[in-house]
Amino acid sequence: MSDPLAMPKPSAQLRAMLPGLLLIAPAILAIALLYVVPLVRSVVFAFVDADGGFTTAHLATALELYRRDVIFTVLVALASLCLIAVISIAIAGYLTLGATPWAVTVLRWLYRWPLFIPFIVAGQTARSFLARNGLLNSLLIDSGLMDPATAQSLLDWRGLVLTFAWKQVPFVTLLLAGAMASVDRSTVEAARNMGAGKLRCLIEILLPQVRGTLSVGLILSLVTIMSVLSVPMMLIAGNPTMMTSMMAHRVTYYGDYAVANALGLFSYLITVVAAFVYLRMTLAQQPENGR
Amino acid sequence: MGIEALALQGLCIRLGGAQILHDVTLDVAAGSFTCLLGPSGCGKTTLLRAIAGFAPLSSGDIRLGARSVAALPPEKRGTAMVFQSYALWPHMTVVGNLTYPLKLRGVAKAERAARAEHILDLLDLSGFGERKVTSLSGGQRQRVALGRALIIDPPVLLLDEPLSNLDAAIRRNLRGELRRLQQKLGITTIMVTHDQEEALSMADTIVLMRDGRVVQVAAPQSLYTRPADLDAGRFLGVDNIVAGRAEDPVQATTLGFRSVEARIAEASAANALTRHGTVLDCAYTGGGYHLQLDTGAEVIAAVSGAPIAPGSEVCVAVPAASLMAFGPDQMLLPN
Repeated sequence: MSDPLAMPKPSAQLRAMLPGLLLIAPAILAIALLYVVPLVRSVVFAFVDADGGFTTAHLATALELYRRDVIFTVLVALASLCLIAVISIAIAGYLTLGATPWAVTVLRWLYRWPLFIPFIVAGQTARSFLARNGLLNSLLIDSGLMDPATAQSLLDWRGLVLTFAWKQVPFVTLLLAGAMASVDRSTVEAARNMGAGKLRCLIEILLPQVRGTLSVGLILSLVTIMSVLSVPMMLIAGNPTMMTSMMAHRVTYYGDYAVANALGLFSYLITVVAAFVYLRMTLAQQPENGR
Repeated sequence: MGIEALALQGLCIRLGGAQILHDVTLDVAAGSFTCLLGPSGCGKTTLLRAIAGFAPLSSGDIRLGARSVAALPPEKRGTAMVFQSYALWPHMTVVGNLTYPLKLRGVAKAERAARAEHILDLLDLSGFGERKVTSLSGGQRQRVALGRALIIDPPVLLLDEPLSNLDAAIRRNLRGELRRLQQKLGITTIMVTHDQEEALSMADTIVLMRDGRVVQVAAPQSLYTRPADLDAGRFLGVDNIVAGRAEDPVQATTLGFRSVEARIAEASAANALTRHGTVLDCAYTGGGYHLQLDTGAEVIAAVSGAPIAPGSEVCVAVPAASLMAFGPDQMLLPN
């Protein structure tokens, strides 16, 4: 009361902010309770021993037992992303530049189907398709393209890469085709006018203009691949395998949350790198888009 | 590649059931500047796109020099087009935009840089080479787009309303610049425009189009003074259309003239069309006054050096040489 000028100011400010705070409170609460707390907990518990002290033993165990799985996971994820990128660019490019209207229509109708199929069904389908006596090999043998003696099972890293790509290509294509459709069409026509064929237009004119969208699609796919449990569980029986199934294994059979958390830490690190690249890229593009 | 003539023979284009171009036949001389002029929707841009290969023909042929290009995809035709939106590649620098066509042609890097430098000089853009095209002004972008088209030394240059996105002052400047550049390089040029002033001041030949058809092909002066029919006349600024009378110096169903040719006269002049009327409106237009007068049969627009009060009875005279005579079928009558 001694300073009548200074007092009302903060409370008035607070009152002005209150509706806004109330409005975002549920969202913040949900993020905090459902995401931040478990995340912090799992990171913390990766470094806490049975007595509550700090330890790097879990990390060491995780590395010692599962180093090959971590490397395998990274390689499978990268190979999947490469395949996803190549196929999505090809499909989105054809949807944008294709000159055969019926083929474009059919492709546009077909490519989205895997979006509506859950991962577990995709895993199951891939299993019966890619196994040694699966549909793929049967077809190849029946058509005389393959000698039955050379038939081999694709239920290893190749199966994982193919399944992840099959499931994620429609998603990335959807984003990419949308972005390509909104590119100024005359930039492509100008390139063709100057002598560029369609493939060059796709790679040198269209693609650089939708680079950001492609990276977003791939980064989101990476996060999905890093978190899918059903596909590696169904496709791969032996070692090495994806980190998700190893974490599940650790928790289900040993009740060992600490090492599972340590493994989880590696997943975070991998996705953090992707997120960092993504943020850097969007920030670098900002001044241009802001115009 | 050298300068080549362009010949269009019986070009028809149908898009989704609608006939966009009807039997367009046109010869464009090598090294000439031709304007496709017409109101929007008349098919002039479609015609230009057909030459570049972006609008598929239903019938007809396009010949560039001695060879037919009608069946070739756009990238094989060798025409260079400047788009209305400029269509610069936003992910490349100015030099990147200029040299990409050369890169497509397998020109060595040093030569590419030298030619880009030459074009930048030619277009008064020296020092802008490393700028991003998104940081350029409209006029600068327009020049880069033009430079990108010229750098490949094309047999034919196609311009799709290249000046329509610019301010009036810049447009007037670039008009002269573009014309001088065309004459200097002697390149066969076809420009689409809906602006008759632009067409008249730049072209050697104007192709007037309406509803997907060529109405008239003529030099600017003869197009301006002798439009093929009444609609062409209206499009070219013939704002007075009056019914012919027996005492008129030229006998025709309909006579047309521009308001600048219609002047206030003291009495009926010899060898001139005269009409008496009441002044409806008198507006200052800078340097003179623009009048609307009611002759009883029609409203005539005329000019006067001095203001005249509305309601005054005046006589307006148009010299016979400025009259355009149209027959009952609205076609221009021969002199």
